[in-house]
Amino acid sequence: MTDTMSTLYKEFEEQLKSVSSRQELTQLKVEYLGKKGHVTGLMKEMKNLSNEEKPAYGQKVNELRTSIESEIDELEAELKAEALNEKLANETIDVTLPGRSTEIGGAHPITRIIDDIEDFFIGLGYEIKEGYEVEQDYYNFEALNLPKAHPARDMQDSFYISEDILLRTHTSPVQARTLEASNGVGPVKIICPGKVYRRDSDDATHSHQFTQIEGLVVDKNIHLSDLKGTLELFAKEMFGEDREVRLRPSYFPFTEPSVEVDISCFKCKGSGCNVCKKTGWIEILGAGMVHPNVLEMAGFDSKEYSGFAFGMGPDRVAMLKYGIEDIRHLYTNDLRFIDQFIPTEDGGQKDESI
Amino acid sequence: MRVSREWLETFIDINVSTDELSETITRGGIEVDSIDDYTLDVNNLVVGYVKSVEPHPEADRLNLCQVDVGEETVQIVCGAPNVKEDSYVAAVLPGGRLPGGVKIKRAKLRGEKSEGMICSLQELGIKEEFVPEEYKHGIFMFNTKQTPGEDALKALYLSDQVLDFDLTPNRKDALSMIGAAYETSALFGGEVKAPNISVNEADETVTTSVKNEDSSAVPFYALREVKDIVIQPAPLWMQVRLIKAGIRPINNVVDISNYVLLEFGQPLHMFDKNRIQADEIVTRRAEENEKFTTLDGKERVLSAEDIVITNGEYPIALAGVMGGLNTEVTDQTTNVVIESALFDPVRVRKTSSRLNLRSEASQRFEKGPSHEFVLAALNRAAYLLEKYASATTLNGISSDGVLNLENSVITTSSDFINNRLGTDLPSSEILNTLERLGLGAKKTGDMIEVIVPSRRDDLKIPEDISEEVARIYGYDNVPSSLPKYSEITPGRLTDEQAKTRVIKRQLNAHGLSEAINYALTSEDRIGEFTQIKEGLKLLMPMSEDRSILRTSLIPHLVDNATYNVNRQQKNVAIFEIGNIFVTNGQDKLPDEVLKIAGLMTGVHHQTQWEKSGQASDFYTLKGIVEAIFEKLNLSNRVNYHSASHFDELHPGRSAEITLDNKVVGLIGELHPTYGEAHDLGQTVVFELNLEEIFSYKTGNILYEFLPKYPSISRDIALEVEDSVSVQTIIDTMKSNASKHLIDVYPFDVYQGEHIEEGKKSIALHLTYLDREQTLTDKDVEALHQPVIDALVDKGYTIR
Repeated sequence: MTDTMSTLYKEFEEQLKSVSSRQELTQLKVEYLGKKGHVTGLMKEMKNLSNEEKPAYGQKVNELRTSIESEIDELEAELKAEALNEKLANETIDVTLPGRSTEIGGAHPITRIIDDIEDFFIGLGYEIKEGYEVEQDYYNFEALNLPKAHPARDMQDSFYISEDILLRTHTSPVQARTLEASNGVGPVKIICPGKVYRRDSDDATHSHQFTQIEGLVVDKNIHLSDLKGTLELFAKEMFGEDREVRLRPSYFPFTEPSVEVDISCFKCKGSGCNVCKKTGWIEILGAGMVHPNVLEMAGFDSKEYSGFAFGMGPDRVAMLKYGIEDIRHLYTNDLRFIDQFIPTEDGGQKDESI
Repeated sequence: MRVSREWLETFIDINVSTDELSETITRGGIEVDSIDDYTLDVNNLVVGYVKSVEPHPEADRLNLCQVDVGEETVQIVCGAPNVKEDSYVAAVLPGGRLPGGVKIKRAKLRGEKSEGMICSLQELGIKEEFVPEEYKHGIFMFNTKQTPGEDALKALYLSDQVLDFDLTPNRKDALSMIGAAYETSALFGGEVKAPNISVNEADETVTTSVKNEDSSAVPFYALREVKDIVIQPAPLWMQVRLIKAGIRPINNVVDISNYVLLEFGQPLHMFDKNRIQADEIVTRRAEENEKFTTLDGKERVLSAEDIVITNGEYPIALAGVMGGLNTEVTDQTTNVVIESALFDPVRVRKTSSRLNLRSEASQRFEKGPSHEFVLAALNRAAYLLEKYASATTLNGISSDGVLNLENSVITTSSDFINNRLGTDLPSSEILNTLERLGLGAKKTGDMIEVIVPSRRDDLKIPEDISEEVARIYGYDNVPSSLPKYSEITPGRLTDEQAKTRVIKRQLNAHGLSEAINYALTSEDRIGEFTQIKEGLKLLMPMSEDRSILRTSLIPHLVDNATYNVNRQQKNVAIFEIGNIFVTNGQDKLPDEVLKIAGLMTGVHHQTQWEKSGQASDFYTLKGIVEAIFEKLNLSNRVNYHSASHFDELHPGRSAEITLDNKVVGLIGELHPTYGEAHDLGQTVVFELNLEEIFSYKTGNILYEFLPKYPSISRDIALEVEDSVSVQTIIDTMKSNASKHLIDVYPFDVYQGEHIEEGKKSIALHLTYLDREQTLTDKDVEALHQPVIDALVDKGYTIR
């Protein structure tokens, strides 16, 4: 380094020390490395040198330039980081303020229950069939072994529209129609959810409109034991692994034998509580083997084919599962009610799904 | 049917606790709804003999009674008006208890000591309505000699539990004590002892003849006559058994009639023979509007569907439902005609429900009593009248019609039963089970013949036999299995079901909650938000509000919004998926159309601390509707057309929605007048015909290669008449552009300063793309010029 260079470099270092902003640094950079800068000026001296001296001199100038450049870059990075830190410090926000709202709507509890039940049976190869809410007397009653004079067909209990047309009182007409459409050939494996109507006054436990979900399996060699096994699997899946199923003889015109199905109480595990009315059991389904008259009327040979059917009320299941005390909540659409059904659910601890 | 254990034990021996009896019967198919335990809480209740009654010196209404309670005689103060000397009563002694936990203590009443309490039947837990008239307003007194100090509950036949059977409609056999006994026998074993029916006939023969004019209405009618009866209270055991069964004792004749009804399930009727004023009974259909006064004193207007019992001239009873006032048994009655008959169950049901006269008798006739007990009950009643009403039975039974007493036969097999149940029962076990049920069963080759007595005529087909076997064998013992299908078929949702679920989830994510409303509505909601002006009406609605099927989902969503807004829920976003009903006439099935509707009111996605949020205006809801169509891959085929013909909607802020030019829905802001009527501020609603929309199949997603060349954009600002819609401008552009115009989007709409009154400025962003090559400025120029020309042709000003 020539003396001039050393002096220049010393001066540069002095000046660099006093730089406090990126602006000053840019100025300094121009002053030394710019087109008219000191270092560029040194290069202009070159023309006064002999050809032998030129390469060595040039190299020295370049070394000087590199040193200055790197020091400037270093300081620039430092200043940049400082400035950024200051900027970030100024940008600090209160992370505890609520986020910009994206509201989520609630899924109706009946929909949740129906979806769960459907999904379970889809897994077992069932299809979902929906039918008419306004039905012909034939499909609602007659095809289900409830002939015209049957006491269960009281006009007082159903919403009739004309002598032959009524609001369906159960989802069973879907079964009758599906069987009929099967032309006497199985297997039929269906789940029928839907709204049904009874001529009841609305109160905490009655609703003139509610939902039902029914299942039907018809094939060769379907046994009552298959019904029991299917419902046991269902109870364990829906209500917890430890659930037991109890069948009690009952009567429905469209099944023979007919049974009521109780599951061991999911609240108290069978020891007795207010949900199961101290019995340890909750009545949740009606079921049975499809009555041969029902099969025959729909075109199935009841000697060759047999089947089982079951039905339950998603309203009741929802009320039991979620502890809903009044069925009218399900149809009032109070957001304070529905919006309690926003979160997802899981099984919790196994065996304690509810 | 209330079944007293003490009474049941006269039919069959029972060796289990009442709880076990109840549980086993329930598991066997007859649900025991509850057990009334008359011994519950009661202790220290003894028979007392009232030796003397003197007025209380200090109280008008009280008496001082000296009562022999066995080991001693104590003084009991009694306020009952009917207490009397030389009577046997039920008394609780100090330290004793009565039902409901009432504790009896030694006491002083107005200065006189009282060492216990003489009880009324009500105090022993009997409902007022079942207490015999003579004890209604006072204490109970035994009508026979008793032993003081003995357990009074026992003496009263109340040391008992009563099982309340909740019977399924097919089990009419258990509407009788004998039926309950057969059921008990099937479940526990043991012989059923039938009641005594041996009649001592006099020489004198029955004088009344019987004729059935309509054998379908009255297939069989039989009667016996008894004479010289003495009307008096029935024996205590009979009265108490009736009380426990829920029937109030009246007198021996009426009580015997009811008692036999409960024993055999065969309703009887007792006529005062002298008041019949004829020697014949003729049964027939009533005449239309024929008048008849039933024994409750009410005049009934009959219909031709009713069956009446007549004396040949006029009705004396309404068959199976209620007797007539004109032939009622009274205190003066001496001769009685006992009726035991079969009536057409359907007619009895119709009559009793039309006249709202449901009784123990009609309930049984509706189900059809067992043929085998028709004559047994008749004889049993005569036997009891002889014994407890000093009656003499005349010789013979008068009857008309046929009483089919033949047992029916069902042929089945062990294979069939095992196949239906999924069991592997040996035929010996099946035969054994059937025998326990009191059914005859014999095996011939592979088949089993089951002989069914008339009391079990609910059993008709082999499947019925499989049920009998299953319930006695026990459902707990039936194995569990899963079906072995003849063919494996997959389970899946249909496209429509899957899309419905997707839309529900999507709307939830947009902030809308799912509502479920009633399908029935009031007539004034028909035609709201729809072109449909008529609804399907119920024949017999329960209220005006629920009398007709809805024609739109929106009205009830509006109600839901009002309900919530009135409960401090100002921001409402809800939707519903459900059917509406398009009538095809009252006697035809309607078209059920699956719809989705939504409503928003208040502010949504609101962030109050920065005062941001979405108003419930047209565009907020339209964005949601557009998102539904985008999800369904139908966006490009949907258009919105300004609509002003819905009375309920703002005429300038509503639209019909078309899909491929077919109307599939509507969207709009509530008309301020309609909104106000429902307590709502700015509120927007939409409704879409999902059924129609789902009928458009869009197939699978086909991936499109990402463009290799950049797109070029151009902006255009136009000044147009206020009435020109953006859609019109876009349509003009698109129809005059090449395929390289891939997108047009309005980015600014302006009215006000610098823009002429009645006009607006619209700025649009156009994007051109050629998938084959890079577009040069020159290329774009060539593409863009026709678009501009078309706009100018339309009379729009380019700014």
